[in-house]
Amino acid sequence: MTSESALSNAPPRHFRNDAVAARARWRRNLRPWLFLAPALVLLGAFTFWPVLWGSYLAFTEYNFLTPPRWVGLANFEDLLQDPVFFISIKNSLLYLLIVPAIQLGAIVLAVLVNNSLPGIRFFRAAFYTPVVTSVSVVGIMWGWMYNEQGLINAVLRWLHVINDPVGWLSDDRLALFSVMAVTLWRGLGWYMVLYLASLQAIPKDLEEAAVLDGASRFQRFWRITIPMIMPTILLCTVLSTLSAMKVLEEILIMTKGGPVSSTYTGLYYAYDQGIRAFNFPRALAASMVVSVFCLALAWLNFRFIRPRHR
Amino acid sequence: MTITPYCKRIVALLLLCWGVSYVSGVAAAGKVHVEFWTMSLKPKFTAYFKTLVGEYTASHPNVELEWVDVPWDTLQTKLTAAIVAGSAPALVQLNVPWAYDYALYGALLPVDELLGRDRDNYTAGAIADLTFKGRIYGFPHYNSVNVMAYNRALFKQAGITRVPTTRAEQLEAAKQIRARTGQYGFSPALGKIAGVFLEEGLPLVENGKAVFNSPAHVALITKFADAYKAGGLLKDKLFSEDNFPASIDAYKSGRIAMLEAPPSALTRVRDDAPDVYAVTDVAPVPIGAPGVAAGGWLFHFAMPKGTTGEVAIEAARFAKFLTNDPNQLEFAKLAGTFPTARNAVADPHFQQLRTDAGAYEKAMALGAKRMSVVRTLYVAGVPGFERLNKRLQDAVEAAIIGRRDVKAALDETVAFWNSKLTP
Repeated sequence: MTSESALSNAPPRHFRNDAVAARARWRRNLRPWLFLAPALVLLGAFTFWPVLWGSYLAFTEYNFLTPPRWVGLANFEDLLQDPVFFISIKNSLLYLLIVPAIQLGAIVLAVLVNNSLPGIRFFRAAFYTPVVTSVSVVGIMWGWMYNEQGLINAVLRWLHVINDPVGWLSDDRLALFSVMAVTLWRGLGWYMVLYLASLQAIPKDLEEAAVLDGASRFQRFWRITIPMIMPTILLCTVLSTLSAMKVLEEILIMTKGGPVSSTYTGLYYAYDQGIRAFNFPRALAASMVVSVFCLALAWLNFRFIRPRHR
Repeated sequence: MTITPYCKRIVALLLLCWGVSYVSGVAAAGKVHVEFWTMSLKPKFTAYFKTLVGEYTASHPNVELEWVDVPWDTLQTKLTAAIVAGSAPALVQLNVPWAYDYALYGALLPVDELLGRDRDNYTAGAIADLTFKGRIYGFPHYNSVNVMAYNRALFKQAGITRVPTTRAEQLEAAKQIRARTGQYGFSPALGKIAGVFLEEGLPLVENGKAVFNSPAHVALITKFADAYKAGGLLKDKLFSEDNFPASIDAYKSGRIAMLEAPPSALTRVRDDAPDVYAVTDVAPVPIGAPGVAAGGWLFHFAMPKGTTGEVAIEAARFAKFLTNDPNQLEFAKLAGTFPTARNAVADPHFQQLRTDAGAYEKAMALGAKRMSVVRTLYVAGVPGFERLNKRLQDAVEAAIIGRRDVKAALDETVAFWNSKLTP
C-alpha cells in the first residue's frame, strides 16, 4: 500500500475532530461520576439496596432461617388488626405537636441570643449542650428526674403544687407528653443554631431602613425578620416533622413503649417487632407505613410553608 | 523507578506479616477449631474462661479454642445472622426460651447422643428445662433462683410478724406496709405477666385454647389491682420487662420492704446500702400452686446447626468440661449463681452457713436448697406468642392501674388469643 492510498483511506479531518471531541466529552462526563462512584457504591450497598430488599421483604413471610415466601399484603392486613400499631401511629402524629413548639421556642431563643450582650456565648453554648449530649445520657438523666422520688416531683412538692408524687413515666396519660418534653429539650438548641445563622444573614440595612420608616420592633420582626428566615423555617419544620415521626431513642431508653403501650410510636413499633419479636416482615411493613406518612408530611410542609420573600 | 527505604520497610513488614500468618496457619492446620460464645460474661469472667481455655488446650493439644463474648442484647441477632451465613460457633450460651425458639426452627442440634450417660451429672430440672419434644438441646451451665429479701425494720414498723409465704399474703402485707409506713411493699415482675401466671400454677393455654380468664386468673389480677390502688406496689417501672434495676434501687433506699431477687443481688445491697443490709433478712419467695420456685433461669451451651463431625465431638467434650462439677462450682462462687451439676449443688459452700453469715450467705443457702424445685418458666408452643403476649400484657396493665375492668379485659384478650390460635 502506497502512502498515497493510505492517506486516501484515512477518515476526513472533521471526522477525526469529531471523534476526538466525543472522547473528550466522554472523559469530561465520566470524571464527575468517577468522583461520585465511591459514595454511590456505599449508598447503593448500605442505603438503596437495603431499602429495595426491605421493601420486598415487607411483602413476604420471612424469619431469617428460611427463604422469604411472597404473601402479598398479608403483613399490612396484619398491621391493621393490631391496636398497638394504631396507638403507635396516633402517638407519632401526636408527637407532631412538638413541631410548632420547637420552632417557636427555637426562634425566640435565637432572637434572644442574637444580641451582643456580655456572656451571650455562654448561653448559646448552654442551649446547644443538650444537642451534643448522648441520647442515652439524656434518657437516663430525665428518667431519674421523672422518677417518683426525682427532682421534678421534689420541686413541685416543695412548691406545694402537688401532694403526692406524679408518675411522669408510669402514668399512661402523661408518659408520652413527658417523653415529648425531653425531645423538645434535646432539639431546641439545634434549631436555635440554624435560626441564629439565618438571623445573622439578614442584611442590616433592611432593619435600619425600617427603623427610619418608623416601624415598631414588632413590625420589624413580623415584616422583615420572619419573611427573611422563611426558608430556614421551612427547612427546620421539615426536619423537625420528620424527626418527630421517627422518634425512637427516647422511647427506647425511657419507657420502652409502656405503660399500657401508651408511648409506642411508629418507629418504635417497627423496632419492637423487628428486634425484640424478630418479626422482620411486620417491622418492615410498619416502617413502610411510617415512610409514607413522612413523605406526605414533608410534601404538606413544602406545600404550605413556601417562602414568599427572598 | 526507585524504591525508597520507606517502601522497602513496608514491603518487608508485609512479608513478615504474611510469613507469620502462614506459619501460624500451618501450625493450626490439623487442629480442631472450636469457637464458643458466652453471653455478657466479659470482663468479670475473663480470667476464669482464659484459665479454663488454657487448661483444656494443654490437655487437648488437638483442639484450638476461640472464646467470643457477646452482649446479651445483640446475641440473638448475631447468632441468627451467623447461622444463616453458615458461620455459627460450635457452642453458644443461651437461655431456655431462646433455645426453644431456635430448636423449633431447626437451628440447634439435639445433643442427646453427645451427652450420653453424662446427663446424669446434671440436675433433673436442668435436663427437663432443655428437653424439647423429647430431645435434649444443650449442656446445662448455671441457674438462678429468687429469694425474698425483706427489711425487718419496715416489717416491724408495719406490724408484720410473719413473713408472707403466698402471693396473696405478700400483697396484703404490701398494703399494710403502705398504710402504716408510707413506703411501698414490693415491685412484682408485672412486665412478665405470663411468668406471674405460671408461677401461680395458672396456665395460659390448655388444649389449644386460651384459658386465662378463669376465676382464679381474675382473682389474682384483682389482688394485684387492689394492692396497686392501695399504693402497695412501687410504680416506677412496674410494668417494664425488666423492673429489677428500679426494684433494687428502691430497696437500697428503703422505699420498698420486700425484694424478690437472686441472692447475688444482696451483694449490691451489702456494698451500696450497709444500713439497709444490716436490717435485711431473707425468706423463700412465695411458692404458687405448682411448687416451682420463682426466678429459675437456666443458661446452657447449645450447639447450632452446622456443627458436624469432629468439631461436634470436640465441642461436646469441651462443653462437658465447662459444665463439670469443679468448673461449675468455681463459676457459681465467682458469679453468685447456682450450679446445675449435681455434686456442685451439694457442695458445702452452699450448705454450711458460717456463724457470722449475713443476708447474702443465708440467701445462697436458701437458694441451693430450692434448686430441686427450680424450673425456667416460659410459654412454649404458642405460635405468634410475642404478639399475643403483648395483648395480654396491655390488658393486665390496664386492669391493674384501674383503666379497665379485670374480667372484661381478660375476656377480650382470651377472645383475641383464641381467634389467632384457632387454625
